[in-house]
Amino acid sequence: MTPYPIFRTLRIVAGFFVVGCLVAPLLYAVWLSFSPDSFLTPPERDWSVRWYKVFATDTRWSMALSRSLTVGLACAVLSVLAGAMFAYGMERFRFRGKGILGILVLLPMCIPPAVLGMGLLPLFYLVGLWGSLLGLVLVHAMMCLPVVYLIVRSKLRQMNPDLEMAARGLGAKPSQVTMRILIPLWGSALVVGAAAAFAVSFNESMVTLFLATPTTETLPAMIWPQLRYSPSPLVAVASVVSVILALGVAIGFGGIVKLVDAKSGTKKG
Amino acid sequence: MNPRPYLLAGPAATLLIGLLVCPLLLVIRVSLYQPANGRGFFTPGTWTLANHSALMDAHGLGLVGYTIAFGAMIAVVVVMVSFPLALFLRSLNFPLQRLAIAGITLPKFASVLVILFGLQQLLGDTGPVNRMLLTWGIVSEPLRMMRGLFGALLGEVFLILPYAVILLFVQVLEIDPILESSARGLGASRWQVFRRITLPLAMPGLVLAGQLALVWGMGAFLGPLLLGSPENTTLSVEIQRQAFEYGRWPRAAALSIQLILAIGICLGALTFLHNQVSGRRLGGDR
Repeated sequence: MTPYPIFRTLRIVAGFFVVGCLVAPLLYAVWLSFSPDSFLTPPERDWSVRWYKVFATDTRWSMALSRSLTVGLACAVLSVLAGAMFAYGMERFRFRGKGILGILVLLPMCIPPAVLGMGLLPLFYLVGLWGSLLGLVLVHAMMCLPVVYLIVRSKLRQMNPDLEMAARGLGAKPSQVTMRILIPLWGSALVVGAAAAFAVSFNESMVTLFLATPTTETLPAMIWPQLRYSPSPLVAVASVVSVILALGVAIGFGGIVKLVDAKSGTKKG
Repeated sequence: MNPRPYLLAGPAATLLIGLLVCPLLLVIRVSLYQPANGRGFFTPGTWTLANHSALMDAHGLGLVGYTIAFGAMIAVVVVMVSFPLALFLRSLNFPLQRLAIAGITLPKFASVLVILFGLQQLLGDTGPVNRMLLTWGIVSEPLRMMRGLFGALLGEVFLILPYAVILLFVQVLEIDPILESSARGLGASRWQVFRRITLPLAMPGLVLAGQLALVWGMGAFLGPLLLGSPENTTLSVEIQRQAFEYGRWPRAAALSIQLILAIGICLGALTFLHNQVSGRRLGGDR
């Protein structure tokens, strides 16, 4: 497009410099995690996995890790189920209260987590969800609803509603329509929504901090006090492990998307 | 009345009402309690407006002003950086584009805490950036980038930018490239093409990105707390401090309501402004 190749090169260099800045904090944290001593200086010659060993042998960290995974996966399932049903109802039906629901579902994005935490703490105290992982799962699922809803809805809008009508008209039961039409066509978007929900929940730290008790100590709740009062390479290690897990789950979900798409492709042909 | 849409929307609506609307109502109630006398978080069974009126002094209003200014700065910086970046992404061809998108989204797989930790270490007084600047003789003493407004802003921008870039990238991808190339062919300058075609067509995305950045910037908590100065903080930080460090729950609840109101008003003002401007432009063109 640009007639002068030098400008093109300069633009690419400048653009990638900005992208590089965005990744830099994460990469630096990874580098710090291999530090051989307890100071936060990046290792230059002698890289060490000392802090990884500490992380792996401390049961508090591994407990926190498994709690984070549990909450993330449960939240993904719950928010996709609720979000998909909600989106289907909103897209395929006209009903009273639809307008309010459309606003309500996007509201979690606009409420600052500190305010949400302020309200949730007394609420959980009142209804007895205080200190239970279930409470955390429910809150995360609620927070993920806008994202899941937007992802799932855009795909639903591309799908032809006549297909569902035709199947119904030809005598298919609602369960058959769901299994044979909706899931194959819609499945990939549902999986993407689930992956997004998992990532949000796994990395959500604000509400988690407000609601943290020793029995619900997830990864962010473990990292937090260390980060605030005595940063050590252990924080970096925890970070690296969580990033790798989140990426791994995302790639796993990506594999499922391919599988779903391939399957619905063969059915069509 | 067909019950099916209600059954379908039911689970999500229950989650939203139970865990979003109810907590917000509870915050309103808590803000009307008298502060605790000795034990507990508040005095049960009391009603008072004192918590709200206590926020109307110079310090309280300064806090609101700071929060609004903080959100506005975040919105401006995020839009100014993410729009060129989105256009840049669009101009790349496939492998480079993939690489850049991966680079932008990668930090979003990491916890917010990780990104802030990395920034804190990178830009701290003894961090590598300062050491580099010192060795090259650009500065004589370490630049104080953390523990101040700059650090807080930078932290939040790092957290919000990836979302804005992806949102705007999707928006500019929808612009038909033929429009821009034919305008060029008809003799428009590069600037004219940007001003008359790219910018107006990207406007809905820009406004949405600005609104998101404003809302998230005003609600910012972790960036200002970890990278900002302890004296100047946003409302979110003050809420947490009042509730957890001083145990003044009614005060924290009143602050929460103030924050929600401020966000609502700013969002409304931004939307109103955009409607006015776009309405006038449409009218002028006709």
